[in-house]
Parts: sequence; C-alpha cells; structure tokens
Amino acid sequence: MRGIYTPVTKIRRQVFAEVARLAYEGGDYSRIVEIPYKIIPGEVPTYRGSVFEERAIVGERLRLAIGLELYPADNPAPISRGVSESAIAKKVYEPPLVNVIPFACNKCEPNSYKVTDNCRGCLAHPCVSACPVKAISMVDGRSHIDKSKCVRCGRCKEVCPYEAIVHYDRPCAAACGVDAIESDELGRAKINYDKCVSCGMCLVNCPFGAIADKSQIFQLVHAIKEGDEVIACVAPAFVGQFGPLATPDQVREALRELGFAGVVEVALGADIGAVEEAKHYVEKVVSGEEPFLATSCCPAWSVMAKTKFPTIAPYVSDALTPMVATARMVKERHPNAKIVFIGPCAAKKLEASRRTVRSDVDFVITFEELMGMFVAKGIEFGDLESRGGVHDATAAGRGYSVAGGVADAISACVKEMYPDVEMKIDRAEGLKNCAKMLTLAKAGKRNGYLMEGMACPGGCIGGAGTMMPLPKAAAAVKKFQDASTRKIATENPLVQEFEQKNGDK
Amino acid sequence: MKKLIVEVCVCTECVMKGAMDIIDSIESLKKLKVQLRFDTQIEVKMCKCLGDAKHGDLSPMVRINNEVLERANSETVMARVIGLVSREQRQMV
Repeated sequence: MRGIYTPVTKIRRQVFAEVARLAYEGGDYSRIVEIPYKIIPGEVPTYRGSVFEERAIVGERLRLAIGLELYPADNPAPISRGVSESAIAKKVYEPPLVNVIPFACNKCEPNSYKVTDNCRGCLAHPCVSACPVKAISMVDGRSHIDKSKCVRCGRCKEVCPYEAIVHYDRPCAAACGVDAIESDELGRAKINYDKCVSCGMCLVNCPFGAIADKSQIFQLVHAIKEGDEVIACVAPAFVGQFGPLATPDQVREALRELGFAGVVEVALGADIGAVEEAKHYVEKVVSGEEPFLATSCCPAWSVMAKTKFPTIAPYVSDALTPMVATARMVKERHPNAKIVFIGPCAAKKLEASRRTVRSDVDFVITFEELMGMFVAKGIEFGDLESRGGVHDATAAGRGYSVAGGVADAISACVKEMYPDVEMKIDRAEGLKNCAKMLTLAKAGKRNGYLMEGMACPGGCIGGAGTMMPLPKAAAAVKKFQDASTRKIATENPLVQEFEQKNGDK
Repeated sequence: MKKLIVEVCVCTECVMKGAMDIIDSIESLKKLKVQLRFDTQIEVKMCKCLGDAKHGDLSPMVRINNEVLERANSETVMARVIGLVSREQRQMV
C-alpha cells in the first residue's frame, strides 16, 4: 500500500494543510470544529458507516496534528479543547507520539490463517494431511481451520493447490518491527509504548488510517508568525519529495518564502558523523578493543538496539546524529535561533524530545507536514526564482537518506583516512531485519563489523513522513549526490572546522 | 502511431493530492499495451499549472485532449485514457 495515494493519504495530508492554514489565519481557534465539515463534506458517508464517525475521526487527527492528546470517546469534550492554549511558539506535545485512534480501528484479527472461497473441497485435501496439530477438517465439503488448535505454522497454505488458504496479519502489526502492537479489551490495536520506537511504520500501513502521530506544525507556524529567527535543517531525503517543480534550490526558496531565516542541509551533520564513526571504527573496532560498531543516525534503530539488546548498547555509536550535529553547529552561529528539523521521520520527533537533545532541536516536522504548510501558504515552486544552490554537504552525506548510504559514506572515509584498513560491513533495513542482524552480532558472528541499521525499508526515503514512492525518491537523491562538487565527507570544509573545534574530545 | 497527450498539473496542491501517483498510474498503462490493445502512444506531460492559479478544491487537475478532469485520481484518469484509446481503435476497424 505504501507508495500508492489512497483516501487515507488524502485525509492525512488535508489535515496537515488545514491545521497549517488555521495557524496562519490566526484569530479565534474554536473554529477548528468546522474543519471536519470541510474535509468530510455532505451527508453521505464516503469511507465508513456514517459521516459523523468520519468527522469524529478527522477531529481526532486534527487534535494530534496540533500536538494535543486524543480525547477518550466516552468523555464529553469538544475537539477544540486546549487548541488556543497550544497556539504558542514552542513544543507542546508529549509522548506517546504515535497514537491509535481507537474508534477508527477496524479490530483486524491478529495473525491467522483462513480458508477462502477458493477452496473446492478437493478429494486430496492435502491441507488436512499437512496439518501437524489436526486443526483442519472437512466441514460441509470445505476445509475448515479450528482456530483454537491452529499453531499458525502455514503448512496448509503451502500445500493447497488452489491457493485457497491465506495468511494475514494486522497490517499495523506486520509493519511493526518491534512487536509493539497489542490489543485492547475490545480487540482494537493498542501500542505497547515500552517497545515502540516511534518509527511510524504502523501509521502509514494501517488501511483504515486509524493510527496517527502528533505534529508541531501549529506551533511552528506560530514561531514564524511571531518573528522568531527560525532556521530549517533539512534532512537529506528531501530531494524530489515535493514534486517535479521543487528542485533542491526551489525547496530552499520555498522555505524562505514561508519565513524561515535560513536553510541548512542536515547532510552536513551526516558528514560530521561519518568522519567520526569512521575514526571510531578504526580506532576501537579494528584495534579489537570493541567487537563491532553500530551506526547511530537512525533513532528508531538505535533505540531498538539499545532496549532490545542491552549487551550491545555500548557499541552503538555515540556520534551525534546528523540532526543534532547540524543543529548544534547552527546554534553556535545563531544562538537565538529556533531550529526546525524537517525530515521523513516520525522517530526524530521522539529523538528531539530526549532530555539531551531538547535544547538543540526546537521542532521536528515531516515532509508531508511541510507540504501542508506550502499548500496553506499557497506557495508555488514553479513561480520561485532560485538564488543559488544549496552547498553544505558532500555526496556522501546526501546519500545517508538511502539504505546503504551510511555504510558507504563511512567506508569512503575509512578508505580515505586509513587506506590499509579492510572494512567488514553488514547492513539491514526494516526493524525486523535489523533485529536479526543484532541477534547475529550478539552471538559473536559480526565481530569486526560496522553495522548500518535503518528502521524504514529503503532507508529514510521510505520514512513515514515522505511524499514520493521509493524508486522516484532514490533517483532524485542520486541525482543530487552527483551534483555535489565534493564526494567524500572528509572533503567538507565545515567538517574540518568541526573536527578542529572538537578534536580533543 | 497516434499519440495521446495527457497533461498533469504539478502545482503544489495537486502534488499534495496525489498528482505524482496519477502520473505513475498513467505510465503503468504503457506496460499493459498488449492486454489493453493500445494503438496509441501515451505521452505524459507535467504542467506548472492547469486552470486558474490556486485551483485548490479542484485539485488534482488533468487535461486529456483539451478536456479537463477536475478532482482527478488514478481511477478516473486511467478509465478516461483507456476509453479514448479503445475508441480510436474501434474507429480504425
């Protein structure tokens, strides 16, 4: 379903655009109650049983987009409660960031096997013979699975000549790499926040649009409106995300048009991290002092690695993530500025809420949320005149957005700085695969390795807050990489400056 | 071979509302040449803006043979394109 524009995508984006519009227009925010009628017009339901239900769900999405808590369905409260108080120029939301809107959840059955109409009740019925626990019998001339006996091994599905047996899982649970999706007492999906790393994969994979994360666009617009010096740090995955007219230069102009005082590529921070992790790898791992090194840039991956594999935790790189490195560098030059990280990532919102990062990054918004701001402000990329390109980063840093790019950037640095060192690299994308890789590492099978982990399939360009399908985004990033005059992270003069300043650490 | 030009608006609002996915779905029809018996070449053009500037609620907009489709989606555009192509095919027989 990812990469296809569906009504779920449509509503999600409309909510962002309307919340941004509300903030830009200002005035009496109690009129937020009108927005569900704008997004779901008329009296005939389009998506669900009734328009009232559809509007109530949009109402919840609006609250989350403003950064507010959901309000329980059994509690009398208007959706406008707390909205005016949230119209401030600083962070409002608190974890949990990813939320199931309970009454939007379809209570999909968890992980199970089902006999479909394709079953012809054949004479051979190999499903019965293949089942190790006698869960399958022929009932009314058709194969029937006794769910209380079924152990979900899938053998019946494999042997059926008519493909009559299907396996299905809740799409949210199937997308979750950390098994954080559980059920509440009514059978609806419920997130276990002890496990959740806020990667956002459930929210883009739920076909009922029942999961959404909190946003900061409302507060960000207020910060800009109040005249704060707001600087945008844009993640390397931004290229190509806003359509064919939005070249990297155009995106920068569009951000200025929105009122950002400056635009910096986070790929610059990636360059800093790549050099640091290359040094760490050679000094600690190659020397044998530490068994392996896990990259730090993907917050969902590094949190998962640390919580699920505590023995590995010390070997997850402590290099600053590209977001934090970039933010600190900008804050050094603009101490009063507010920093906005604009990226593809839901987990960065959680990273920026960490105690140690709070003071560095003021806001985190996704590309999809930013698109809502562009639309609300009526910005047309085609009408903007470019005033020179973005030149902060190297091709290596820009490649951080695509799976494999981090390891590539680091190995290029190693090759440059330590030509004699032979690197061992493993990488995984998708948290389930990442966990497999870490299990191997824990068993001692990845000693001497650099391990790149990316929580989202495809890397950051597959993040929850992206707009473009993977292949298009990957091609755009490649093109932007080729346009870099500098190729390897070590060539970046800003990195050299950073290294000199922090060299003694 | 005849040519059908499909113009897709790629203004900010149209892109937000799925213009790029419409382009993908038109492009995907090219792979169904045999199944759909195309005798016409489809060409997709991206336009800075179809219709009035800020056509907001009418997004996404697509123009096929001078006919403008408003609030377009993959479904309506694919149906229209296939319809046109097959009609031309009938005329040829």
